Amino acid sequence: MATTNTEEAFTSSDEWVRVSPKLVTARRLVLGMSMLPIIAVVVVLFIVPIPEFIPIIAAVASAVFFIWAWWLIGRRVRSYAYCERDDDLLVSSGILFRRLVIVPYGRMQLVDVTAGPIDRALGVTTVQLHTAAATTDASIPGLEPTIAADLRDRLAHRGETRSAGL
Amino acid sequence: MPGSALLDAQGHRKVHPISPLVHAVAVFPAMGGVAIAFSASGGASIANRLSSLPGLEALSALSPILAAIAVVAALAALLSLVVAAYQYIAWRALSFWFDDDGDFRVQSGVLFRQQRRVQLSRIQAVDVTQPLAARVFSMAVLVIEVAGQDDSRVRLKYLTLADAREIRREVLARAAGLAADTAEAPQDVITKVPPGRLALSLLLRLSTAGLLLLTAIIILASYVSEGWAGIGFALVTGGVPLIVVISEYIRFHGFTVAQSPDGLRLHYGLLRTESRTVPPGRVQAIEYVEPLLWRRFGWTRVLVTIAGVGNDSSGGNQGQQGNTVLIPVAHIDLARDLVARVLPDLDTSAITWVEAPKRAWKRSPIQWRNLAVGWDEAAFATRRGRVTKRLAALPHARTQSVRWTQGPWERALDLATVHVDTTPGPVGVSGLHLDGTQAREIAHHQAGAAREGRGRDHSIHWAHE
Repeated sequence: MATTNTEEAFTSSDEWVRVSPKLVTARRLVLGMSMLPIIAVVVVLFIVPIPEFIPIIAAVASAVFFIWAWWLIGRRVRSYAYCERDDDLLVSSGILFRRLVIVPYGRMQLVDVTAGPIDRALGVTTVQLHTAAATTDASIPGLEPTIAADLRDRLAHRGETRSAGL
Repeated sequence: MPGSALLDAQGHRKVHPISPLVHAVAVFPAMGGVAIAFSASGGASIANRLSSLPGLEALSALSPILAAIAVVAALAALLSLVVAAYQYIAWRALSFWFDDDGDFRVQSGVLFRQQRRVQLSRIQAVDVTQPLAARVFSMAVLVIEVAGQDDSRVRLKYLTLADAREIRREVLARAAGLAADTAEAPQDVITKVPPGRLALSLLLRLSTAGLLLLTAIIILASYVSEGWAGIGFALVTGGVPLIVVISEYIRFHGFTVAQSPDGLRLHYGLLRTESRTVPPGRVQAIEYVEPLLWRRFGWTRVLVTIAGVGNDSSGGNQGQQGNTVLIPVAHIDLARDLVARVLPDLDTSAITWVEAPKRAWKRSPIQWRNLAVGWDEAAFATRRGRVTKRLAALPHARTQSVRWTQGPWERALDLATVHVDTTPGPVGVSGLHLDGTQAREIAHHQAGAAREGRGRDHSIHWAHE
């Protein structure tokens, strides 16, 4: 994993860490699998006796969607970055809807580490931070399992030393 | 322990033995509904069949409608009895006490035994409520609100009003870090909302006023044109807002705010009365809401977010909004005074505002003039809304996290929004559509201010400050 300087430098001294490119593979795999039923429908449209332009339009539309989603996944994954500062964690993400979340370590209630079956096969893990606010939306997908475990332990440790009441 | 309270074998306290009966009465109307669903159409025929049984010949003497009603009522009573029997078993299993650490414990459950320990330093609010059924028996419910995700509160059903107040006193005294037998803190009434003003304020909300005006026009038009079809329409446009106004009036009738060393006491309700004590430092965020037609009178409503209060789904239909109102209507000066009592450092009148840039009108053509964020050493505040103006604020120390977001339309205009997250509640602190770069600076600045604010915060045992 490399530090980044291309994503806007929020504050120049901070070290931003990008997530693993394996997440792109994992998400594209999921995309491919969710395309299967769509392909099946298009195939059926070609077989049944209806005017030919309908299945052609359907095929073109799903192909365009697939290419767009494929490309978007690459950009979205590249947009994920996090930065551990002395007192808080920054998470930034998003292409169309961009966001930056600042979570103070003292406010963390718990840290989740999750990985689905595809994620596990490819070796990517999600770390999610929860605070007492339901609206805090700080999850970092696509971390290598060891890095995720280290991050979780570091966050938990910092949370303990800086914890505050509500 | 007070002599009036009932004790079990371990010396733990019990709720009042009449509780199963109160539970049964409380569900009687609902059980009536169930009974009607079972037998509304069949009620008469059931009555017919029953009347042929020995001992029930009297039913045939009643008119069919009365007989049907009698059957439904009997069914409802039977179902309520089942509830009473179940609640009796539950009552036997329920007990509560203060443990050696001074924390409050509740043991309950028939099949699944549950013991809940309430850390008193985490208490967010203590309520004594009297639902209508409980009032009939002069009983009350004690609710201890604790911060937590789901249903983290403790409800004790039912206690005599005196017992409920006694336990509230002890819980608050222990939570404040005082001796358990400290006398109940005296309270001074600060204000009481006059019924007339409450009713008028509810009628003057724009949607209500608009719908009622529309209703008047429809009725007038129907009268003039003698096209009576409009009346049915008027029933809907007039009926819905009236129901809203009346139900909200019943909830907030006689809203009284009193100050005591344990915190602010709120009493309200016409049929179901509530008495809430909010200890100092428990309010996470506040919001002033000023509908268009209230501004001529200088009125405002104040909403508050208290951790764990009003965010449960199991609390029933008794208006979760009602749980989070500091005052339903008051003059702005009085409202500011009340806010100063729950959040002493928070003074939104002196804040300097950073307003949204002029180009924000392309994103929010109506409210852009009022969009702004502001802060001082103690608090962060946001302004939004044009027709109904909203001013939300929270102390820096109550910041859970800070978010900067930018949608596609905002991005095209180089605008961005800053959200300051707090515990779930009615107050949303969001500075909408600010200048993009400025918003990012504000987000970072707020993260720093929150850190400093936390360092100064000491509100756990409030009597020990």
